[in-house]
Amino acid sequence: MANNHLTSESKQLATWYFTFAAILFGAQLLFGLVAAIQYVMPGFLYGILDFSIARILHINALVVWMVFAMFGSVYWLLPDETGIETVGIKIGKLLFWIFAAAIVVVVLVYLFIQVGPADATTIWFITEGREYIEAPRWADWGIVVVALGFVANLFLTGIKGRQSGIVTVLMADMIAFAGLYLAGMFFTDNITIDQYWWWWVIHLWVEATWEVFVGAIAAYGLITMIGAHRKVVEMWLWIEVAMLFGSGILGLGHHYFWIGTPEYWWEIGALFSALEPLPLVAMFIHVLYDWGKTQGAEMADEHTDEAHVKSVITNKPAFTWFVLNAFGNFLGAGIWGFFHTLPQVNLYTHGTQFTSAHGHLAFFGAYATILVGMMYIAVQGTNGIKVMKHTKASLWGVSLITGGVVGMTVALTIAGYVQVLVSRAQMGATWAAYFDGQSGLWFAQAMDWRLIMGTVTFLGFLFLAKDLLTTGKNPVHER
Amino acid sequence: MIDPSIVRPEIALDDFLPIFISSALVLVFGGIYVGIYTAVKVKLLKPWTMTIAYSFWMLTAYCLYLMGSLMHVGDFTAKALVVAAIGLLLLPYAVYYMQNQVHEENEH
Amino acid sequence: MANKSVWSDNRFWQRSATWVTGFASILLIWLTFDTSAQIAMGNDEDLKNGVTKRVPGPTVINYKITYEMDAKRGHEVPVIGGKEKFFGRDDWSEEEARALLHLGKLGSQAKNCMDCHTLLGNGAYYAPDLTKAWLDPAWGPDGAMQALTGKNTKEEAMAEFLQHPDQFPTHARMMPDLGITAEEAKGLVAFLKHMSSIDTNGFPRNFGRMQGAINGK
Repeated sequence: MANNHLTSESKQLATWYFTFAAILFGAQLLFGLVAAIQYVMPGFLYGILDFSIARILHINALVVWMVFAMFGSVYWLLPDETGIETVGIKIGKLLFWIFAAAIVVVVLVYLFIQVGPADATTIWFITEGREYIEAPRWADWGIVVVALGFVANLFLTGIKGRQSGIVTVLMADMIAFAGLYLAGMFFTDNITIDQYWWWWVIHLWVEATWEVFVGAIAAYGLITMIGAHRKVVEMWLWIEVAMLFGSGILGLGHHYFWIGTPEYWWEIGALFSALEPLPLVAMFIHVLYDWGKTQGAEMADEHTDEAHVKSVITNKPAFTWFVLNAFGNFLGAGIWGFFHTLPQVNLYTHGTQFTSAHGHLAFFGAYATILVGMMYIAVQGTNGIKVMKHTKASLWGVSLITGGVVGMTVALTIAGYVQVLVSRAQMGATWAAYFDGQSGLWFAQAMDWRLIMGTVTFLGFLFLAKDLLTTGKNPVHER
Repeated sequence: MIDPSIVRPEIALDDFLPIFISSALVLVFGGIYVGIYTAVKVKLLKPWTMTIAYSFWMLTAYCLYLMGSLMHVGDFTAKALVVAAIGLLLLPYAVYYMQNQVHEENEH
Repeated sequence: MANKSVWSDNRFWQRSATWVTGFASILLIWLTFDTSAQIAMGNDEDLKNGVTKRVPGPTVINYKITYEMDAKRGHEVPVIGGKEKFFGRDDWSEEEARALLHLGKLGSQAKNCMDCHTLLGNGAYYAPDLTKAWLDPAWGPDGAMQALTGKNTKEEAMAEFLQHPDQFPTHARMMPDLGITAEEAKGLVAFLKHMSSIDTNGFPRNFGRMQGAINGK
């Protein structure tokens, strides 16, 4: 870039990570559309790019783009928080290229080789066939190496520079995040043990370590965007860590109701699941509180007429995404998680489109939103903008994406409800019961709507991509 | 004909919808309760709206009760739900108290 | 700076977070030890002596499996009955059965089963749940699927279907040909039979017993 305002190499590396993440985000949506079309027209790409492959790409691209954007977010905030350039930035850049190249190879193998014979070579070089972490074993080790390099950079920088509360939380969180991946890297003939450890990766990522990561990023965002008081924000962050880990770690129990694990997980899962929404509610209040306080102080300071009261927000699009995060986390992870979490009702909803509805809204609300917000913060920093405003494209982007995801979620919830009633409660979950549920009119129409809303989401993504690429040069912002 | 050996679900067919709706409303109402509470405290809303906040908490508690009874939850889960309801009632108090204390100490 | 309260002290909260996290983690690790012991795979001796294991040994393929209501536990559990032939034999040795299950489990991953089906309720929702697929009446003697494949036993019908799923179109949504060999298909069926013997705390409920129920369309 010609007129680059970045003085730190760490921030430059962050923009690479964000760029690659945004590309993968697009890929995620495209393959999601393929899978959605296949629900409506089963013959679509049959035998060429079957549903299983489209879905692998859809969910793996999701996980990987989020991990890329998370690494990017950390590299972005490190110089601000520690006051120094990130240690080992050269290695960080090298690791970025290794990571990106490995992802491309894995994707090509998924696309063109797809499945292999039932032996260890397939597990090592083609697919591990375990939802979300299908990446073959060689790539697992690659990911471990890259993650260790990233964690090392974070630790060395945190120790050498100023160690703020946010950095401390991130250090602890990221090492747990990287370490948990190891739980998903072995093979066993016992499917129950397989799924027991598989959930350690999936659940302890998305319902514990990732949530804490979001807490840390939200804290950073509140300080940079509305000038919230650091001490308040950091104290709050520690409370969030206590609440999230306190409920999230044992909340793992709600995945152990039906996989062959003992019955005592019912009680553990029910108790901690009931507590899991509380930190999400609390995070939501926190954003409202901080904004109310700082905006209130601003109003008091100016004490002139209302019309001249300045907004305290220095980055409108990013703040919009951060607020959506507070809402979305509560809605997607909280409400959509809670209503099928108790074992009495989960017996009927487990493994239906309810889970899918929850997955869509929760991944979007809890993670996609805040990571897109961080991308906007990076655009602001890269272009030396003081106060960043909304553009037409940013508003279209955020509205279409949010509307689309909420629409998909509602459609999938209706589909799930049909499935619960017909396939589960009335028919007893057999092959015939499954297809009876799938062929119901309501189910079929819900799938049509999911496809329509998925298309809306993709259109929103195009606006978002356009805005991220062009808004930096837009003259509407204050510089 | 339904085979007599079949065990009907503990949850009656007609109860599924009320269960899903009431459990979703638990958090919707709960969210509104803490939202209004916080908004009043940071002076974005007038103090009398606090009564509305408490009414929403009562709705939350009712929805939890409805959900729990339709699902036929056991003793343990029932207790867990009561704890969650009380936790939600106290949550905004605790949060506000602590946040305020930090502000007082640091800004004035 | 009048009275500094413990509730607004960062260090207090930092310590609390550490303690809460540590406590939850230790509890989880402790529970993991207990659960691991309970979900470890049983062996042939257990099956011969009628010892109930949550996850029975691989030689469970030599036995008849049913899914019955347990009045005490209040839900259904898999019940292992008398001997039953599996691909013409009911004397699969521990080694043979283990090798077959190993092949099947590898196959289930190598073919990405979980990205269309659910196993123990986890996976994708594009195709039926396979947790108790072995017990599905559709594959039984009077079942539509067995008739479709023209085979005489459940296991042969399933293996035949797995090798050429695209030749047995049952619905517009079809399973693609994944290049499953005859041997792999055998392994996969053993894997499915073994999975149906796992005690899943009553999931799925009323499996396979409600054909006559009201159609909810």
